[in-house]
Amino acid sequence: MLRYVGERLLQAMIAIFGVLTIVFIVMHLSGDPTLLLVPQGASAEMIADLRRELGFDRPLWVQYVGYLNDLIHLDFGESVVQRVPAIDIVASRLPYTIQLAAGALTVAIGVGIPAGILMATRRGGWLDRVLTAVVVTGQSVPTFLSAILLIFVFAVTLGWLPASGIGGLSNLVMPSIALGALSMSTFARMTRISVADELSKDYVRAARARGLPMPKIIVRHVLRNASIPVISIAALEIGNLLAGAVIIETVFAWPGIGQLAIQSIQARDFLIVQVIVLLISFVYVITAVLADFIYAIVDPRIRLAR
Amino acid sequence: MTAVRTTLTALAFALLASTALAQSAKTTLTIDLPNEPATLDPHLQWNTDSYSVYRNIFDNLLTRDVSGEIVGQIATEWTYLDDTTIEFKIRDDVSFQDGTKLTAEDVAYSILRIIDPALKSPQLSQFNQIDTAVATDATTVKMTTKSPYPALLAQLVKLSIVPKAYMEKVGAQEFNVKPIGSGPYALGEWQKGVQTELKANDGYWRAKPPFETVVFRAVPDVSTRIADLKTGKADLIRDLSPDQTDSIKETENTKVLSVATERVGYMYINAQAGPTTDVRVRQAIAYAIDRSALIEALLQGYGAQVNIIGAPPVFGYTDEVAGYDYDPDKARELIKEAGAEGAKLEFLTSPSYSRALVEAIQQMLNDVGFDVSISASDQATFLKRRQGNPENAGSLAFGAWSCACQDADGIIFPLFRSGSQWAKYANPDYDALVDSARSTLDKDQRMADYKKAYEILREDVPGLGLYQAFAVYGANAKLNWEPTANESMFIMDMSWQQ
Amino acid sequence: MTLATLSTSLSARFRRIPLPILAVIAILITMVLLAALAPWIAPADPSRQDLFARLKPPGFVGRSGITYWFGTDDLGRDLLSRVLYGAGVSLGVALLSVIVSTLVGVSLGMIAGWFRGWVEVVIMRLVDIMMSIPAVLLAVLTVAVLGPGFLKLVLVLGLTRWPRYTRVAYGQTLQVANLPFIKASELAGAGAARILFHHVLPNIAGPVLVVATAEFGLMILTEAGLSFLGLGIQPPTPSWGSIMSVGREYVERAWWIVLFPGLSLFFLVFSVNLLGDWLRDQLDPRSRTR
Repeated sequence: MLRYVGERLLQAMIAIFGVLTIVFIVMHLSGDPTLLLVPQGASAEMIADLRRELGFDRPLWVQYVGYLNDLIHLDFGESVVQRVPAIDIVASRLPYTIQLAAGALTVAIGVGIPAGILMATRRGGWLDRVLTAVVVTGQSVPTFLSAILLIFVFAVTLGWLPASGIGGLSNLVMPSIALGALSMSTFARMTRISVADELSKDYVRAARARGLPMPKIIVRHVLRNASIPVISIAALEIGNLLAGAVIIETVFAWPGIGQLAIQSIQARDFLIVQVIVLLISFVYVITAVLADFIYAIVDPRIRLAR
Repeated sequence: MTAVRTTLTALAFALLASTALAQSAKTTLTIDLPNEPATLDPHLQWNTDSYSVYRNIFDNLLTRDVSGEIVGQIATEWTYLDDTTIEFKIRDDVSFQDGTKLTAEDVAYSILRIIDPALKSPQLSQFNQIDTAVATDATTVKMTTKSPYPALLAQLVKLSIVPKAYMEKVGAQEFNVKPIGSGPYALGEWQKGVQTELKANDGYWRAKPPFETVVFRAVPDVSTRIADLKTGKADLIRDLSPDQTDSIKETENTKVLSVATERVGYMYINAQAGPTTDVRVRQAIAYAIDRSALIEALLQGYGAQVNIIGAPPVFGYTDEVAGYDYDPDKARELIKEAGAEGAKLEFLTSPSYSRALVEAIQQMLNDVGFDVSISASDQATFLKRRQGNPENAGSLAFGAWSCACQDADGIIFPLFRSGSQWAKYANPDYDALVDSARSTLDKDQRMADYKKAYEILREDVPGLGLYQAFAVYGANAKLNWEPTANESMFIMDMSWQQ
Repeated sequence: MTLATLSTSLSARFRRIPLPILAVIAILITMVLLAALAPWIAPADPSRQDLFARLKPPGFVGRSGITYWFGTDDLGRDLLSRVLYGAGVSLGVALLSVIVSTLVGVSLGMIAGWFRGWVEVVIMRLVDIMMSIPAVLLAVLTVAVLGPGFLKLVLVLGLTRWPRYTRVAYGQTLQVANLPFIKASELAGAGAARILFHHVLPNIAGPVLVVATAEFGLMILTEAGLSFLGLGIQPPTPSWGSIMSVGREYVERAWWIVLFPGLSLFFLVFSVNLLGDWLRDQLDPRSRTR
């Protein structure tokens, strides 16, 4: 067991290292921030000077080694645009990202899993059809459109919710729905499939033959077994929600790390992007390992997969 | 159901009541900008969003009045001792927000700080003609430039004065998060990524600031900014597209504010690579673009036609240079003469520029027989290509240029002077003219030089002026404000109509 | 279970296709046909602008006498023609990128699940790496490096999404590999490629298909998202995503710009998902033994 955990964590470290390297190379291939920083009329010499002072004229491998060296000393560097430690900037956005991810996950699980169960148990009925339509809508409207439609209806026309920004719970409602919609569909479909699979199994028939009421069978037996694939989806979705919020956060002016990530990429503010990528891959690895353990708890028959 | 409706109605009334209350005594002005300020240290980043915020925290050495004339702000008067030496008299009634007095030392320090390469300031290029500055007494600063530099005053309009003592005490990094200036507003709270809150500096030397609190929010999506304005969450929003003005005009309580700016919409045409090396092809492009259709249909009139790459608020602007009239037949003729039928032209662009304008121009050029393809990339990649080798810099690009200095030297020098990284064009006669205009203080001489330079550009067409851009803002109907040609946002110029 | 027996059992099942599935298949075929025939059936050139007929409502009759059945967009282009042409672009991007990621993902997944050992470790950690870089960010960066374009977009989307298929294929292969008949054919001396292709692939096709159908809609949305960020299909070529990302600025004034591509997208994703779920039920080895 301990050996497994150690091995798994070692591999995770290598994976994170790989992520950082890939992002570092791709990002530096896409240019540096110098041209974005100088005023329009700056002369070529001025640009060259600033580039040299910022260190972007050095060969890629030198910059990479320098970056790794700083990283080993837990120095995440300073944002070249904001002139503030990159880690501080990311940290200041983190609470908002967690709020939004929690809100979206609540929408996704709170709607998606019951919908999936209902769709599986009422297969072919009118409820199944209505829910299918709802689920597909969540999957077929681009977020940049659903977000602005929500704003238009609930903020501008009805005046119920604030259009943008942070503040109270009311600010969280629309971004959570818009972001959670896609995951909701994924949860609903996955739940429907796994519950339907379980329902077709012999033990369910046996239980029904013994006269157990259907809701009881579902809650006591089916859900437990059907939850495994759903847990693995949830682990994936958390990673998605953290950074998949790029467009949602942009439209709702929500100060999470998705918006920060896209703006930092566009500004070629490399060190902020690296910190974000580091954070996301870390969260991803942790949830993946946790998911494995939850499998083992939910279903002791499952050996710990690699 | 009824209960729900009652609650909602009550809620709506409560909301209405609270907004009504807020409006009866307007203490907080909320402004939606596309982004948060990158830095609040005025000597570092110099983008519109940073500038809009910190310009209210600091006073500058010089400024422009409503008519666009350069006037003193911290300086009271200035005299040229010779072509490269200028002496400024400094106000002695100005204090920083921490109570310390602003002196000539602070002014000299601010100049020396921004021209110090160690600061790595992206703004250095605007001030690198300055050699040194020294405070000769408490109210006098003597500044020398490396050579006679006519755009100096226009550049100094952008120089904010920072407190020497405080800066040296806390250091640059701390100053960036907790800046202190002598301006009408002091930094209240800076919620990174969310909003920047400024508090009125009641002892401000010019007058009492009009609002107790000003909040600058960061709202990247223009549709969201409009929703904020309509719902009363914001009182002023920036960067409206002309198509969106209608819905703001139709909404009660909101209005559109606009002003003709020094910014000019122009086409860049690569004169050093591809089919456009032939001057006839470049002239054909000029004949093929229907500027008035672009202005009327796409800009909805928020733009004024120009014949040159420059606008009326700019020194050096002339309306005496003829433009290219829209003449597709003439364009086809020139293309045929040049043997450039079906020539493939790559049109570089980025999300920073109006997609509709780019597509409309593409259609106009295709109509006369070119084969134009659009290459959109993000701004960093766009700039890298546009400023790189001519071979890789595409054939065409649309741009909207402003140097915020209202001087042709800040426009056509960087755009077309050979050796500049923007220029994909070289003409020794042209270079001589813009060089001469940049190194004399004689205004008539400079005007004459620029007129000749614009005439050369007209013949060679390495670029084409399309229109003078208007800045378009959405505002609460009660906000009184006249936006200015240099697109700045001074809270001191605003007021609230009760 | 071989491909031959699979197809016989499938054809037996397909004879009893339920009505909704038939309808869905009809919708999909119609959409593909409309997309393929766009150059012949579209009433106008999709990039033909009329700056003085901008944002006109459905049914508007233009100066030249043509009727704009879906109205016009912000440059006065015929929206019906753009939606028709856009179908081909959107379907093409989604289909091709799903094919790319399925091919890459499933092959790697089966290899990892079959050979185990260091191959498995390398592939699955690579999956972890790819999955933990947010796809949108990777796409934006890659477009910045490669430049925009239809085929590059397909590659970017395909090569960022394959890990999802790998995980599914890997998990299924692990399960299938222990089934008695596979062990039997291994003992009988069948090569790995043969076993994977003939025995494992048909048994994992169901779950893979579910992923692929979900991804299909997602690819259209991702392309739309990149259009919103200004990095999608290059104008003036229309895609449903790019039409909608323009139209969102006009939801109040010109609702038709988002409505028609939006509805088309809805029906497409709806049909593909329904078909995918149904196919999955048919292909699932367990449900067949019921």
